[in-house]
Amino acid sequence: MEFAIETTNLTKKYESLVAVDNLDLKVKADTIHGFLGPNGAGKTTTLKILVGLLKPDGGSVSVLGQELGWDKPDVRSRIGYMPELPKLPKHLKGRELLDIYGRMYGMNKEERNKQVPKLLDMVGLREREDDLIGKYSKGMQQRLGMAQALLNEPELVILDEPSLGLDPVGMVEVREIMKGISKEGVTVFLSSHLLHEVEQVCTHVTIINKGVEVTSGTLKQISAKFRGPVTIEAEVDKLSKAVIEKVKGLPFVADVSRDGKKLLVQVKTRDDVRSQVSQAITAEGGIVISMNLKGESLEDVFMDLLVKSKKGRL
Amino acid sequence: MSVSHASWTAKFLAVVRYEILWNIRKKKFLGMLVVAFALATLSLAGGHIVSAITGEPVEPNPDFVINSNVGLGGFGFFLFAIVTAMNIISAEFESGTIVPLLAKPLSRTTVFLGKLFAAFLTLLATYCFLMIYMTVGGFVVHGPQNNLHLVPLSLLGALFSTLIWIAIVLFFGTLFRSSLIAALGPFGIWLGTNIIGSILAVVGGQGWILTYIPGSGNTGYFGEPPPLGVEVDTLLGIAVSTGTDSIGPNLIKYILHPSILHPSWVVTYYKMNMGGIIPGESSQITWTPLYSEPFPTVILTSIAVALVYFIVFVVISWYVFRRAQVTE
Repeated sequence: MEFAIETTNLTKKYESLVAVDNLDLKVKADTIHGFLGPNGAGKTTTLKILVGLLKPDGGSVSVLGQELGWDKPDVRSRIGYMPELPKLPKHLKGRELLDIYGRMYGMNKEERNKQVPKLLDMVGLREREDDLIGKYSKGMQQRLGMAQALLNEPELVILDEPSLGLDPVGMVEVREIMKGISKEGVTVFLSSHLLHEVEQVCTHVTIINKGVEVTSGTLKQISAKFRGPVTIEAEVDKLSKAVIEKVKGLPFVADVSRDGKKLLVQVKTRDDVRSQVSQAITAEGGIVISMNLKGESLEDVFMDLLVKSKKGRL
Repeated sequence: MSVSHASWTAKFLAVVRYEILWNIRKKKFLGMLVVAFALATLSLAGGHIVSAITGEPVEPNPDFVINSNVGLGGFGFFLFAIVTAMNIISAEFESGTIVPLLAKPLSRTTVFLGKLFAAFLTLLATYCFLMIYMTVGGFVVHGPQNNLHLVPLSLLGALFSTLIWIAIVLFFGTLFRSSLIAALGPFGIWLGTNIIGSILAVVGGQGWILTYIPGSGNTGYFGEPPPLGVEVDTLLGIAVSTGTDSIGPNLIKYILHPSILHPSWVVTYYKMNMGGIIPGESSQITWTPLYSEPFPTVILTSIAVALVYFIVFVVISWYVFRRAQVTE
C-alpha cells in the first residue's frame, strides 16, 4: 500500500460554499504529512470526511487501501483521530474514557489494562486518571484527546491541530510523540496552523486554500520549487564600506544592501553560508550582533504561496 | 493489536456503558430521582398526614401498592422521559462529544441502539427501585398487601408509558440537535394532548381521539351500558382511563376482576351536556352515551398505540441520526 490516504476529486459543499473543491490528496504510508492552509481552507472538513463524520458530495476516498462508504466503520478500527480541541464527555473520568473507547475498538480487558496506563503515562495524566474530565484544563483535555487517538495502536493517525491549547512543554511533547509513533511505522496526517511545528516534524506537506490544493510534496521539494531568494540579515557594529565590499566579493553573494546597522545579503546558494559571511564581516573589523535567514522557513514559502494563490498565479 | 474483529455485542455494550454512566451522573436525573422518591414518600405518608390533621385513625389499605402505579402518574412518566432522553443525541452534538464518539469503529445504528437501550435500563432500574420502595413502604405504612405478584405488571405499564415519551423526546433531540427543543417539543405535545385535548374531547364529545394519542387517554365507565343515545343524569360504574399511562393499572384490573370479561360489562363513553342555568337551581349536567367497547379492546388498543408511537418515532430518529453529518 503506497498511500495511506488517497482522494480523487474530493468535493464537499455547505449549501453554496464549496469547502473542498476537487481535492486530489495523496498521503504516503509511513510518513508524517502536514496539512496546511489558512482558516476556512477546508482542512477540518477534509479530515472529517476521512473519518466518516461528513459525507462527500463528490469524488472518492480511500483510507488504508479501503474505499470509504457512508457509515462503514471497519476502517476506523485502524485509524486514530484527534479532533481540533477535542470535546470529551465530561461525565467520565480520564481512565474510564480510555477504557470505554477501548471497548468500542473491541480491545479485550488485557489489552486495555496494558494500553490505557501506558498512554496516560505518555501524556502525563496518570496522576489525574480518576478525575472527571470536566475538571481537566483545556491542555489536559488536549493530551487526553491525543491518548484516545493512539489507543488502538492505529496504522494511521489523523490529528487536527494537535498542539492547540498546549503550553510550550506540551507542544514539544506532542511533537516527540508524533516522531515516536512515526518511527514505529505509523502514518501521521496532521493539520496545523503552526508552520514551525510542521517544519520540525513533517516529511511531506500539502497546502490547501479555499478547498483547492495549492501544492503538495516533500518539504524539500516544496522549498526548492517555491522558495524565493534567501537573504541573510545581519546586524553589524562598525559596519564600514570595506566590510560591504568584502561580503560582496564572496562567490555565492548576489547582492548586498545596507539599512542602518543592518546588512542585507542576498545569496545564490541554498547552502547555509552564514559562517562565511560572518568571517568576512569580522575580517574587515565589523562586529556581528545578530544574523538571521529570511525566505528560508516554511512560513515564508507558505505565505508566498498563498499570496500567489490569491493572485491566481498558481 | 487485534482490535478489528471485535463482536458487535462488545461494541454495543461499550456504548451502553458510556451512556449509562452519563445518565446516572446527570444532575437533573439525580434531581428527578430525589423528587420521585419524595413524591413516593408523600404518597406513602399521605394517610398518616391526613390522620394527624383530622384525628381519624388510618385504615389498613391492602391494595395500596397494587394501585400505586410505581408511585408516579402520567406527568411523572413524562418527566422521567425528558430527563432520561433529552441528552441522548442532542447533547452529544451540542457539546461536540459526538465527534470522537462517531470516529470510533461503531456504526451509527450501534450507537443509536446502545443509547436507547441504556435509557431503557436506566428507567428500568429507577422504576424497580421506586417499586421496591413503594412495596416495602406500603407494608410498613398500610399493612400487609394483596396481589403483590402483579407488581411487575405495574412496572411494565410504567415502562410502556415512559418509553413513548422517550421516543418522542429522542425524535425532537435528533431532528433539532438541541436539548432545549428535545424537552420543550414533547412538553408542548403533552400540554396540548392532556389539557386542551381533554377539554375539547369532553365538551365536543370527541374523546375517542384521546385513545390514539399518548397520555391519560379517554375516560369511560365500566358496567352494563344504558341504551345508546339516552341521556342520563348520573354516571354509574367505575371510571377507567384508556390512555397509555393506564396500561399497567388496566392489566391489573383485567386480571383481578374476571367479572369485567362478561359481555354485559363493557366500557362506555359519554358526552357531557351542559344544561341551562335555571334561577334558584344549580346548572344541570347530563350525559349522553356515545359508544361502548369490551375492556380487552381498551387494553389492546392502548398497547398498540404505545407500540406504534414508540416504533414510528424511534425509526424516524434512527433514520435521521444515521444520515446526520457532523458539522459541529
